[in-house]
Order: sequence, then C-alpha cells, then structure tokens
Amino acid sequence: VPTLALNVLGRGVRIDCADPAAWPLVQGAYGAMLGEPAPTALHYSVRRADGTMPHLVLERPPQEPIEAVDAGALLACLDAEIAVAIQRLRHDLYVVHSAVLEHRQRAVMLVASSGGGKSTLAWALLHHGFGYLSDELAPVALPTLDVLPYPRALMVKRAPPRSYAMTPHALRSSRGFHVPIGVMPAAAWTTAADLGAIFFVERSPGARRASVARVGAAEAAVRLYANALNPLAHRGDGLDAAVRIVRERPCFTLVSADLPGTCAAVAAALDGGR
Amino acid sequence: MPSDAGARPKRRDDLSVRSVDGEVIVLDRSLSQVHQLNATASFVWERCDSHHTAEEIAAAMLDAFEIDIDVARDAVAMALHQFDRLGLLDRARA
Repeated sequence: VPTLALNVLGRGVRIDCADPAAWPLVQGAYGAMLGEPAPTALHYSVRRADGTMPHLVLERPPQEPIEAVDAGALLACLDAEIAVAIQRLRHDLYVVHSAVLEHRQRAVMLVASSGGGKSTLAWALLHHGFGYLSDELAPVALPTLDVLPYPRALMVKRAPPRSYAMTPHALRSSRGFHVPIGVMPAAAWTTAADLGAIFFVERSPGARRASVARVGAAEAAVRLYANALNPLAHRGDGLDAAVRIVRERPCFTLVSADLPGTCAAVAAALDGGR
Repeated sequence: MPSDAGARPKRRDDLSVRSVDGEVIVLDRSLSQVHQLNATASFVWERCDSHHTAEEIAAAMLDAFEIDIDVARDAVAMALHQFDRLGLLDRARA
C-alpha cells in the first residue's frame, strides 16, 4: 500500500492510501511534509468502500471510519482530521485559520473566513516574490512569535484570473485546484519565520481599488481570536495570546479588489512598515 | 436591560475580559462569542459592578467625555441595552 510518512509540526503522521485514484491527490497535498520518520502519532488509511457505491473510506482507529463521496471530499476530511489532531498534539502552538506567506524572511498572515479569498490572494502573491508557508493553518510559537510552516498544497476553489493563471500541473478535485509545493511559482519556506504582519482580508465586490489600513489592537485581537482554532488550550482562554500577538506585530485590514492591485497594496503596506 | 432607574447592572462573573488600549474585549465562552466594546461602551461596562445605577454611570461619563447629560444618558442606555441583548449582564441583578 502506498504510504506517506510525514513530519507534521514535529509529529509523525502516516497515511496509507490503497485507492489508486485518491493517491495522487493525497500525495500532492501532503508530499512536501515528508520527513524524518518520527514515532507515528497519527495513522490514517484510505481505501475504497466495500459494495457498489463508489465511496472512499478514511480509517482512523480507534474512531469510526469516515466515508467520502470522492477523492476531493476525502482530502477535505483528511485535512480536517489532521488539523484538529495536530492541534491537540501541539497545544503549545497558537493556531490561527490563516494563509501564511514569507516576505523579506518574515511571516505574513492572511486571515479571512472561509471563502474570503485568502488562498487566491496567496496564490497571486506567490507571483510577486512571496514565499509559501501555509494555506490554511498558521501555527504560532508563542514564546518567539515564530510561525511554523505547514506546507500542505495550496488549494483554490475557482480558477484564478488570467493574470495569475493556474498552473497546468495543479491537481483537480471536486473541491478545486490543489497546487503542490513543487509546482508553485515561488519557493516554500521550510523553517519557522518571525511573524512580521497580519492582514485581515475583507472581500468587497464593489471596491474599485484595494485598500490597507492599520487596525487598532482591540479590534485586531478580536479578529485574530475569532479565527484562532485552539484558543482554549491557552492561558486566559487564549485572549492573552491574541492580545500579545497584535500588540507586538502590525495588523492591517485589507479590502481586496483586483488581484494585481491587492498584491501591490499588501507589498506597499509591508515595505512602508520597514 | 435594567428595568428601573434604581437598578444596578452587574456583569456576568463567568466572562473573560481584557482591556486593550482603552477598549474592552469580552469573551463569552458559553455562547462562543467575543465582543469588542468601543470607548463609551467600555466606560459603561467597567461600571456594571452592581454598585452604580444607569444615572450614576451617565453622571460619571460627563467627567470623562465632553458630552451633555442627555447624550450621556442615551449612551448608557444604549450600552446597557446591548449588553443585555448579548446576554452579558447578570440577569438576577438586572
């Protein structure tokens, strides 16, 4: 059975995939996390369901298996399982739902709710010299405010505009396009990077141009907290960590518009803060 | 909302609260909600301690903000209404 032995945030994760149709997607999504074979902390198995229904099954003993209608749905289940389980294993990290890029050797978080356009913006910024750390999770080490890489493939739901055309090497699923690390237009950042800035991305279909504004600490703390995935694992229900992060690092609201203009606005804000 | 002028509103005891640059952040774990209060709401919030009536809070606001008493009363009433609507007050005391 094809197997991925991964090092995810310092923990061993093994994925056995007995389904040849799902394997390329699983491998493409997590292949960049291949690592030193640490003791396996999490073990998942993918197989085709018995019977006539074309379902896939994700096994994760001792919990009940999960059925998925196709490879895209299965990968979504696997993503969620690993994300939740790894937060339990690394409860020292403050994990935020965010894309993370590298700019001038510092981590830049793009925080938005699901469907808020952060992955598409991340994809565009990779064409402007930004490096890649993560698409969905920003694991912050609180003692240092370093952000650890979580180099799962970047996933965008819809084809980006022509100016940032999707690579033909992206993998397709029912969820969208999955861009493995090796076919990205920029390098993946493989070590922790000091958190440089946080952007809270807002979509405004009527906006003619992108705009960036500094946001006060209280508002930033609330926004960050609302996107934290494991705040209750931390002292003070995670509020203290959110307040500390936004007090020590610049935070911006970013109203996105056309992608080139939005990328330029992000770069200008970062370079203006140097 | 406190039903009479003599009521002395009180914050719920089970909330997590932080003050950040003059604004209060309130975490209500029971409802999985986090709230950011603006400066005037924060001022009112800090006095929802079961010792102050709405009128006393409004009077205190006169000293802190350059506003007249009617504006202060409206601000206090609005803040208390919001706190109550969001379930942030101890209803046994309201």
